[in-house]
Amino acid sequence: MSNEVRPQEELIALPAPKTIGDALAAAAAQPPEPVAVAAVEPPPAEPAPKKRVRMPRATEAKGRAIVITSGKGGVGKTTVTANLGAALADAGKRVVVFDADVGLRNLDVVMGLENRVRMHALDVIEERCELDEALVRDRVRRSLLLLPAAQNRDKDEIEPEDMTDLVSELTEQFDFVLIDCPAGIEQGFRNAVVGAQEAIIVTTPEVSAVRDADRVAGLLPNDMPARLIINRLRPALVKKGTMMSVDDVLEVLRLELVGVIPDDREVIVATNRGNPVVDMPGSATGQALRRIAARLLGENVPIPDLTQRKDWFSNVLSKLNFSRADAKG
Amino acid sequence: MRGNIFVITSGKGGVGKTTTTANLGVALARLGKQVALVDADIGLRNLDLVLGLEKRIVYDVVDLAEGRCQPRQALIKDKRINGLFLMPAAQTKDKESVSETQMARVAHSLGADFDVVLIDCPAGIEHGFRNAVAGADEAIVVTMPEVSAIRDADRVIGMLGSRRARLVVNRVRPDMVRTGDMLSVDDVAEILGREVLGVVPDDEEIIDTTNRGQPVSLDPSRRLSAMYAIMARRLMGEDIKPLEIDADGLWTKLRRIMVGQR
Repeated sequence: MSNEVRPQEELIALPAPKTIGDALAAAAAQPPEPVAVAAVEPPPAEPAPKKRVRMPRATEAKGRAIVITSGKGGVGKTTVTANLGAALADAGKRVVVFDADVGLRNLDVVMGLENRVRMHALDVIEERCELDEALVRDRVRRSLLLLPAAQNRDKDEIEPEDMTDLVSELTEQFDFVLIDCPAGIEQGFRNAVVGAQEAIIVTTPEVSAVRDADRVAGLLPNDMPARLIINRLRPALVKKGTMMSVDDVLEVLRLELVGVIPDDREVIVATNRGNPVVDMPGSATGQALRRIAARLLGENVPIPDLTQRKDWFSNVLSKLNFSRADAKG
Repeated sequence: MRGNIFVITSGKGGVGKTTTTANLGVALARLGKQVALVDADIGLRNLDLVLGLEKRIVYDVVDLAEGRCQPRQALIKDKRINGLFLMPAAQTKDKESVSETQMARVAHSLGADFDVVLIDCPAGIEHGFRNAVAGADEAIVVTMPEVSAIRDADRVIGMLGSRRARLVVNRVRPDMVRTGDMLSVDDVAEILGREVLGVVPDDEEIIDTTNRGQPVSLDPSRRLSAMYAIMARRLMGEDIKPLEIDADGLWTKLRRIMVGQR
């Protein structure tokens, strides 16, 4: 873990890194062995310099800041954020996932990084540390970083201007800034949205989630493009007519659909273990998330109709466990 | 203080606060209690949808808090069951439009007229949370056997001050507990160090009944009704056990009894 606590030294020792992302790519290319770094250039005798390594400004391609929001809680914002981050990093992009849920942070747990969090976004804003010190690198993906939220603070303690500054600084260093928005539409929501250029609204095919998504869509700035992810779809229930279909949801919300994610109990297991679902081979949920990442990158990946597919597994499951006739005996 | 005002909270969203509020309310009314359900999620109200009362809203809790109406004008009587009333939230207002004092006053005035008041708290720990908690005597913390939900519940319990807090462990999947992929109810209770008021298994019936505005508790023959009935009796001080979903799986057992399979 010693190599995790010295991002600054790495940055300084590596030959002329242009951005953090470049430095990361370089760090990923060579084995992250602090001893080897030290052998090339012995560390200075005085304590590590506290000055921020200023990144060159305004490369022609600034990163995209996308807020992932929903209104209703528990629809999968954090899981979607973590997994899209992983999938985008796999596509060679430099990604930072930013937990904006001050006081109720969870992105660190979902990514399995909770023990590596040292500083957080509020420390950066209040200048107790540099941005680089607060970023936590993913355990597996070197180009995926987490900016954690403060856990023992209030959402009202951040000003919208601070968020705008912080997000814009992140977009200079990363290709993608994914902002995990808190539930609700209070100050925490407004802070999470203010620095973003695009929004992804996550909903589930349930009336209450759809209603909250509609409310949130109305609260986003008019010029902010918003796209929709429908999460936790159960094709078997849609066919039975007890769950809203994708078309039902779209009829209410009238947003551009960027993906449909089937419900999968594997997600709970993966989340509890801090592993991304996109890493689970054969998981329909993981595949759907990877397709969404591809669409975010501009690839033309069709959205498959999940209800049309003969999903034998859920069929078998519904026959064994959940069919109503069975339950009523 | 009579101790009959309960806030139903969770920290994390989507764990089942609103569903629990609606079903526990129905179960309490079924016990013959006069019950008022207060939707404190101003701007993102949903309790009206879950109860199927959304078309009957005239006044809301913000109108009441600001003195534009009387409690009986804002309260919506559920015609399907005696003794159940909804105090809806405003949809177009901000949570900041009501103060903690105002919400506490609303809660206390309802508490004087009703046997039980259940306040459906919004997700998070911001202004809306503080409003919902302000007038409550006790708390019911809804959580799920999942790391992030438990962490948020822990945070919320710490913010409830000296109020008694009991747990509803929602969305338990006995098969996953058995295979070790999910924490057990006992694990959750131990981590959070609070008494368990009720346990509810994960069940797709909830999605359907919620979408149709028909809380599952309205139909006593439904599988989940029994869970909420026990929760209601425990809340009223009866000394019975929260229905245990043991390692064998309650549904497996029930099915075995009813269908005679396996």
